[in-house]
Amino acid sequence: MKEMQEGSLVDGLVDGSVDGSVELGAATDGMKTDLKQLYHADGQLNRGFTGQISYTVCLERPYEALLIRFSFNKQHHERVTKELRDEITNQLLQGGHAIPTVCELDQMILSGTKTEIHTLASLNDVFIGGIHRQLTTREMYFSYDKATEGCIPQPCIKGVLKVTVLVFQVIEDGTDYQLQVFVR
Amino acid sequence: MYKRLELHNHTTESDGSMTCRELADYMKGDGVDAFALTDHNTISGHEKMRRLLSETQTGVEAGAQTAVEVGTESGSGNSHGNHGGQVSCIYGMEYTTYYGHILCLNLKEYVPWENIDRQHPERLFLAARAKGALVGVAHPFSLGAPFSKGCRFEMELTDFACVDFIEIFNDYEPLHQVNEPGLRWWEELVLSGHPIAATCGMDLHGRLPFAGQYATYINGRPEGVIADELEAAIHSQKTWVSRGPLLLSEVDHQNGLLRFSILQTGKNGYDFSCHPPYFIELTARKGAIIHKVQTPESHKTESSSSKGQPPYDAFTAATALELPLEELHGEGIVIPKLYEADVTLENLLCTAPAVLIK
Repeated sequence: MKEMQEGSLVDGLVDGSVDGSVELGAATDGMKTDLKQLYHADGQLNRGFTGQISYTVCLERPYEALLIRFSFNKQHHERVTKELRDEITNQLLQGGHAIPTVCELDQMILSGTKTEIHTLASLNDVFIGGIHRQLTTREMYFSYDKATEGCIPQPCIKGVLKVTVLVFQVIEDGTDYQLQVFVR
Repeated sequence: MYKRLELHNHTTESDGSMTCRELADYMKGDGVDAFALTDHNTISGHEKMRRLLSETQTGVEAGAQTAVEVGTESGSGNSHGNHGGQVSCIYGMEYTTYYGHILCLNLKEYVPWENIDRQHPERLFLAARAKGALVGVAHPFSLGAPFSKGCRFEMELTDFACVDFIEIFNDYEPLHQVNEPGLRWWEELVLSGHPIAATCGMDLHGRLPFAGQYATYINGRPEGVIADELEAAIHSQKTWVSRGPLLLSEVDHQNGLLRFSILQTGKNGYDFSCHPPYFIELTARKGAIIHKVQTPESHKTESSSSKGQPPYDAFTAATALELPLEELHGEGIVIPKLYEADVTLENLLCTAPAVLIK
């Protein structure tokens, strides 16, 4: 998918020990190659959408590791149009905020406005993790003793997995997203 | 004793830059008695923090708290230390929704929020409460969309009985654009009879200095269970939001007086040895009454340490003001606030619990 930021699979792992002594990026390629894709979905979001999209995956047998990978594109505007300036100015006015200069406004639009999407996972209706960071590619890894920060190690991965894509804000039409679920 | 709480903090479990261990050390280093772990939409840090604190435990695991000694981070700029060298954790989460951020404290399990209804947000507040959590609104007047969708509280709350507290100061937010309307909103609700406590928080995402910022204070005991003490304080609205001194009040119906005293906490960043003129403002429905506090030499806070700084837990008090109740012209509730130098918001030192006169 164009414009996707490619991160390393199983990035940001934290083991089950106190306060996460495994550093970011410490995951091994061995983990990556051991995982097989169980599910894949993609879609497109329109500008202005707020809400969530949930994917439910029935795990037909127990697994020892689970990886959820989500990515999207068009996080920021690539250019500023007059329509965009007017729209943001109106929003600032409605919020009672001071109106910046055109130069400041353009900078705010390019770096300050963003598409913001986060992810949440539950297993058998019990929360197992949420990633709330401004990333265009994120991974949620679970095993009995390791989990990505934001996630909780799972002693037994079986039952019904629900992945919820939490869409806070979409600033561009045609924003592509992709969800993958891997297991071992 | 009074306990200093830092009630809004993030770690690497969400978008903070400190790990659980680093956060605990950072809090200990500034003399904090208890801090809340309030990551965005995750409780993954709870077990890590419990285990971390248990590993170095000098206190006793009790319900939703652990009180333990952790290493002191160097360079945090505070020599006071906290009570007994222990720091406790209050387990919580910042429900980061599309229409506002809701702080939950004493949260024992994750409560789903995704089906939040902007027109009926009470359902989420009540669901969290049903699990025993204290539920409040964080930074209600933050800049929201299009820059930070969800940061501004845009829920259409109609039943304020489901709100336990409002974060009236989010320390690093702009004073007049964000915090002032938050304070005024809380005052308006309280003076309308809603029993809502005031809190504040650093909204810590990294190593920002505590000096000069507000902290929440509650009454407690050295061996007290912080979760229980916090719950009691929030439910009775006995919370102070202060940058240093605490303004205490007492209604003396027998003599028809409202009595105030000022207690120093030794909070890092407040120069308690300097005594500018203090002002006490009493905000009521019909307006505000302002009194300059005369602080005679004998009533000034006394230092009990050799370095001219009181030990953190050495609170001292002196009667600062006695006000005849008749001056309140029949007002049923007043909100006392303490200022230094003048009564501009920049010089607000302490917002005290509302006083019920009748």
